Amino acid sequence: MGGTAILIAVAFGIATLIAVWVSIAVASSTLSRGPMDEQKAAHRERNWLLIVIAFLVVLLFATIFFIPYGKTAPKNSQVVNVTGYQFGWLLSASTVKANVPVEFVLRSRDVNHDFAVYDSKGVYLFQIGVVPNYTQKLVHTFTKPGRYDILCLEYCGVGHHLMETHFEVVP
Amino acid sequence: MRETARRLTLQYVVASTLILLASGLLGVLIRDSQANLGRLGDNTWYALMTAHGLGAFLGWAGFAVMGFAFWVLQELGFELRRFGLAMARLTWWLMVVGVAGVLVSTLAMHFAGSWVFLYPIPFHSAGEWGKWATAIFLSSVLLVGLSIVTWCLSILDTVIGPGLHAVKGSLLNRLGVAMGFGYLWPKRFATGAKPVPYAVIPLTVIAIDMIIATLPLAVLLVEMIVQTFAPSVHVSPLLAKNVLWWFGHPVVYLLLFPAVAIYYHLVPKLANRKLVAGNVIAIAWVIAVIANVFVFAHHVYLDYPTGTVQASINTAMQPITFALTIPSALSLYSLAFTIYRSDWKWTGASTALFLGLVSWLIAGLSGVVNATIAFDTVIHNTLWIVGHFHHMALLNIGFAIFAAIYYFLPDLTGKPLYSDAMAKWHIWLTFVFGMINSALWMWQGLEGAPRRFSILPDRYMTLAQAAIPFVIALGLTQLLFVYNIVQTMRGAKKKPRAVATAEAMFLLAAIAAAIGLFVVGFFLGRDTAPSKGGGGETPAVTTTTAATATTATTTGAAAAAAGKEVFTQNCGACHTLKDAGTSGKVGPNLDATMPTKAKALLRLNAGKGAMPSFKGTLTPAQIQAVATYVSQVAGSSG
Repeated sequence: MGGTAILIAVAFGIATLIAVWVSIAVASSTLSRGPMDEQKAAHRERNWLLIVIAFLVVLLFATIFFIPYGKTAPKNSQVVNVTGYQFGWLLSASTVKANVPVEFVLRSRDVNHDFAVYDSKGVYLFQIGVVPNYTQKLVHTFTKPGRYDILCLEYCGVGHHLMETHFEVVP
Repeated sequence: MRETARRLTLQYVVASTLILLASGLLGVLIRDSQANLGRLGDNTWYALMTAHGLGAFLGWAGFAVMGFAFWVLQELGFELRRFGLAMARLTWWLMVVGVAGVLVSTLAMHFAGSWVFLYPIPFHSAGEWGKWATAIFLSSVLLVGLSIVTWCLSILDTVIGPGLHAVKGSLLNRLGVAMGFGYLWPKRFATGAKPVPYAVIPLTVIAIDMIIATLPLAVLLVEMIVQTFAPSVHVSPLLAKNVLWWFGHPVVYLLLFPAVAIYYHLVPKLANRKLVAGNVIAIAWVIAVIANVFVFAHHVYLDYPTGTVQASINTAMQPITFALTIPSALSLYSLAFTIYRSDWKWTGASTALFLGLVSWLIAGLSGVVNATIAFDTVIHNTLWIVGHFHHMALLNIGFAIFAAIYYFLPDLTGKPLYSDAMAKWHIWLTFVFGMINSALWMWQGLEGAPRRFSILPDRYMTLAQAAIPFVIALGLTQLLFVYNIVQTMRGAKKKPRAVATAEAMFLLAAIAAAIGLFVVGFFLGRDTAPSKGGGGETPAVTTTTAATATTATTTGAAAAAAGKEVFTQNCGACHTLKDAGTSGKVGPNLDATMPTKAKALLRLNAGKGAMPSFKGTLTPAQIQAVATYVSQVAGSSG
């Protein structure tokens, strides 16, 4: 599991525990029925709205700077041309150097594909959709030498799961 | 008129429940196959996936909530009028014929383009399905799309009717009243009676949105049907992708919003108090009606071709998607406080409603993860998404449907529910097994497991197999539901609690025993079965019985030698392969494409483009041998 995946697992796990706790509190409250100020609760819904908005705004500003768009390749990049087709990948180079940025220039020959790279331990690294008739670019710097595997993550036909290949990162 | 609505709703419930059983079974089959339990062929697997997706999502959940919308409106005093009723009946037929067409084109005619039929995949079948399968599939989806539009018209005609107590207002004014504007601007959107019931608001919102969402897809579908027979007609794949999700996101809310109407209607009834809602809840629905049709691009966060505006569109989607969580957040607040310390009795229906709300909350939280671009880069197109939407569709929307069935069926049939105890067992077990089912998927997704793979990479196999007992249990639990419903409709005498519980326990014990025997039998059978050779082997190996095939699969070296001979004689003229000393230029250079054995088998059997199928020319054993050979040597001496 990659770093972001662990972050998601922890955050979602904590949020789920809180959700379960709230659910149990509401469920058990029905066993001890009693008066509740319905009007007050209805009125306070406004406060809840503000809390939700505040939470969403914080999350938005905490994450929006980590979008994958608009990255341009530095001049010393190694360019790898990638062509996706039913059902395989053609790479213009089978080895790249570690610690030098790689610019993947991706095209599709037929349908939508999705270029996803996993490291030698099977840990997912990144992906980008490959739309036919368009060119897409993705820059990544590999730090660890070794074998990297490629899968297709956009359903592209009955051989979708066979679209695998690999390349080497050398020191 | 109550009688008309009653019969209509019952028709929707019966048809959608039958579709649930069929598509649920397909779901269990494809999941088992992934875990190597009853392995299906690739085409069959993806065709079943296509049928399961459309069937369960629209044919069951969508269809069922569409039907209950009429009943909720009837109970709130909104009678179907002549136009509304005609549209409601047309909707039923369009949906039934559409779903039938989807089943025929996938199960019988091998269409396997997935339910999103992402343009231009229907026209690139790799020889697996023909033009007619594509045409019938696309036409069937078009019928389903039209059924959504006619349903929307039926709902809109009903909500602006006399039930609104605002018939004197203009059309727009009445629509505003039905959307709950009266809570925000009481003077402008005044009614002759109290303000509109809360349950009417989400129905009006979705009826407006689904017309806007569906029409562009209908145009695309017509274009695609034309393109099936006239390949020179085409559109931009990027535009088509956006149009698909322009429909594909709101259609999720075609399920959710009517389910919310069920919650808004039933939860206060069962809690014996009014919905605890402030006027801000009307603001949430104003946000919903606008944001819902603009969030489509969060499904294409990771498509951003160079030189297009897609990246900017995608970035704008994160705040809009966040805004769309507000209707859910406020609804959950109101529904939770309606239940809080109330006179809530735990019946089958109320348990389903409560656990449905719990699922809505938790699945909503995983939805926030999906909505966040920085997180989506990790879980996009993985099994996390599959876990998320099964959680939402089965355990939230599905539970609103189950609650509505358990609560309304006595009214709809005029017969008491056969057993409430059995209903509770059904709900609790579905909740537990469904949660485990989704949790395992989400875990696999965080580990990078791709969605829509008939065969997952080996590293995900352990969890895929661990899920199987729960998946089968989840499927079998639905028998409690079916048995209860059938007994109710037959008018079987209502059983005392103890008897019904014993009956349910007996059914469950039988189910558990069956699963136990099945699993034990499977693993014993697998251990004693002949071993299948190395990784990457396909089931085709076990079906070849010729003597040469045995040699080919047992000794790799012999296979390679036999394969080399077949290759030079049959393939070398078109393909370059250094090991065989061939340099054909017609087809791809195999040293560059380095096909896996499975892919070579696919090509040899099905052909592609200029390459013919070798099914008749070569024996199965020869095909095996040449595929083994090519996968072993391609690229190796290059």
